[in-house]
Amino acid sequence: MSSRGQARILIGGGILAFIVCVAVLAPWLAPHNPNDQDLLQMLAPPAWSPDGDWSHPLGTDNLGRDVLSRLIYGARVAAIVGTIVPIGTCLLGSSIAIVAGYYGGYVDKTLSRIVDIWMSFPAVVLSLVLMVGLSPGLRSVILATVLVDWTRFCRITRGAILGLMKLEYISAARITGASHVSIMLRDLVPGVLPLIITLLCVEIGVAVVVESILSFVGVSVEPHIPTWGVMIADGLASVFQAPWCLVFPMLAVILTVMAANMMGDGLRIRFDARIVDRTRAPA
Amino acid sequence: MDAGKFLAGAGLRIATIAGQLLVVSIVIFVVLRLIPTDPLAMMIPANATRDEAESIRAAFGFNRPIYEQYLMWLGHALQGDLGNGIQAREPVTRLIKTALPLTLELAFLGLLTGVVLGALLGILTFRARGTRLERVGEAVASLAQSIPEFLWGIAFVLIFGLALSLLPFIGPMNSAYIVPRQTGFLIIDTLLAGRLDAFADHLKHMIMPVAALAMMKIAMVMRVLRSSLVEVYLDEYVNAARLRGVSETAILFRHALRNAAIPTVTLIGVQAAQTFGGTLLIEAIYSLPGLGNLMIVAIRTNDLPLIQGICLTYCAIVLLVNSLVDLSYFWLNPRLRRQ
Repeated sequence: MSSRGQARILIGGGILAFIVCVAVLAPWLAPHNPNDQDLLQMLAPPAWSPDGDWSHPLGTDNLGRDVLSRLIYGARVAAIVGTIVPIGTCLLGSSIAIVAGYYGGYVDKTLSRIVDIWMSFPAVVLSLVLMVGLSPGLRSVILATVLVDWTRFCRITRGAILGLMKLEYISAARITGASHVSIMLRDLVPGVLPLIITLLCVEIGVAVVVESILSFVGVSVEPHIPTWGVMIADGLASVFQAPWCLVFPMLAVILTVMAANMMGDGLRIRFDARIVDRTRAPA
Repeated sequence: MDAGKFLAGAGLRIATIAGQLLVVSIVIFVVLRLIPTDPLAMMIPANATRDEAESIRAAFGFNRPIYEQYLMWLGHALQGDLGNGIQAREPVTRLIKTALPLTLELAFLGLLTGVVLGALLGILTFRARGTRLERVGEAVASLAQSIPEFLWGIAFVLIFGLALSLLPFIGPMNSAYIVPRQTGFLIIDTLLAGRLDAFADHLKHMIMPVAALAMMKIAMVMRVLRSSLVEVYLDEYVNAARLRGVSETAILFRHALRNAAIPTVTLIGVQAAQTFGGTLLIEAIYSLPGLGNLMIVAIRTNDLPLIQGICLTYCAIVLLVNSLVDLSYFWLNPRLRRQ
């Protein structure tokens, strides 16, 4: 099974790495400035269609902007959001989960109640409200997404921590006089690390989707920054004349989510296999 | 079950929901007051004097400290008055009441489709375990789950609405049909009016939005149900039933399914919040005048009282649905009833 996990990690990770490369190299890769309007060539079709031409390989949108260039530059926002948001949600969610699971009792009850209330907001609604409160911009998008998504991390990690707390090595660490912080960092964190890494991968996809949703509603980054979500929203407006404006950014979002899920799946299989090996070894 | 205990439990539950809503309302209130732009800017005429502008501000209470504003709002809210929309200039409760039925209908149909089709496919792939059919089902499910609802919505518009012209995708019903509003739920109102043609037309308009909302759920329910069936079949009683000569179909439907259903029900509970979130974008894509579209308009115009009211409505629905899911555990699992 582990070789199968390997393939998923490589394919998923490869696609994500490719997207990051595209984002970094955007100024050299993009054939046009993503915001340049060519009003003589509005809604030009992709190059391979009868009326297409190779100056705009994927066609142009309703303002004559080059779809391929916007797609390439859109990868930048996706890459930034897909990197920082998972790290942020992971740090916030897991630290609260570890504190709740370790101390238990009232601390756990209070924190769990907060998570419950937080989760009664539909994620989309909460992120929209947060974006209304914060001003538009990349920093707000990241902050809003982290503030919405940490609960999932928290809930799953807390469950795992509660499981670990029953194991003897934790009591052993306590008896030998290890401090609270040392037990949390040295004994609990390594125990949930495989789980956290898997969640981290899945969160990459979630973050990219949330950003595209916010852009779609029109409350994401500043209007001059191209994102896949904005492209989808613009594309929907001209869907009758130019469906290609819509299809390419959609495929970009779907590809990212699938790659992230694939890598997460692969890692899960890999870690599971390791756990199985470990339990089998002494027998 | 003891009726008194049940009532006490239900009372406690309602009190908890009320408490949670109170906290939610404070959170929303505080977040929305961080807003960087002036929510009344659009309302104050360009030629207003400073005094006139101040009096408009005072009429909405925006000149007072935030806790006073909140208490004022809460006092009114408890009497069922959520204030007037700043842009819409109508009572927020009336706007919500008009929009809510369509959202509830969409979410209910989406969830129902997801559960029914997901359960059917889950049983089907379980019975086909070990064959190629199972692997194909798994691959399709993982694809379906990777695509977020709003992209499913747009994909359906592109495929079935535009390329194949099979289904309508704008609005909840052809505007040629006029049906008197009684319950607000078009699916019921059309029947009450005896207009089967309008009913059929409404259903046709709902097929794509409902399907878009259901896609992820179908995949999730299918996977969870299948894996819990696999687990349940490891239990002794399945073998015992087999030895007694009970048919495979009877084992599945009379014994295993009920036990395997519990994780699926939990999943549906967790999905409730997400389903209502999903309706927001689906409504925007299909121009359905529900709560989600109202919310998007409110956000674009910075209409704070309206945003507040809609958020609270969403949260109240999610909390209620979660309670209903908890109740259904009692029905599914008799061991819980004794506790």
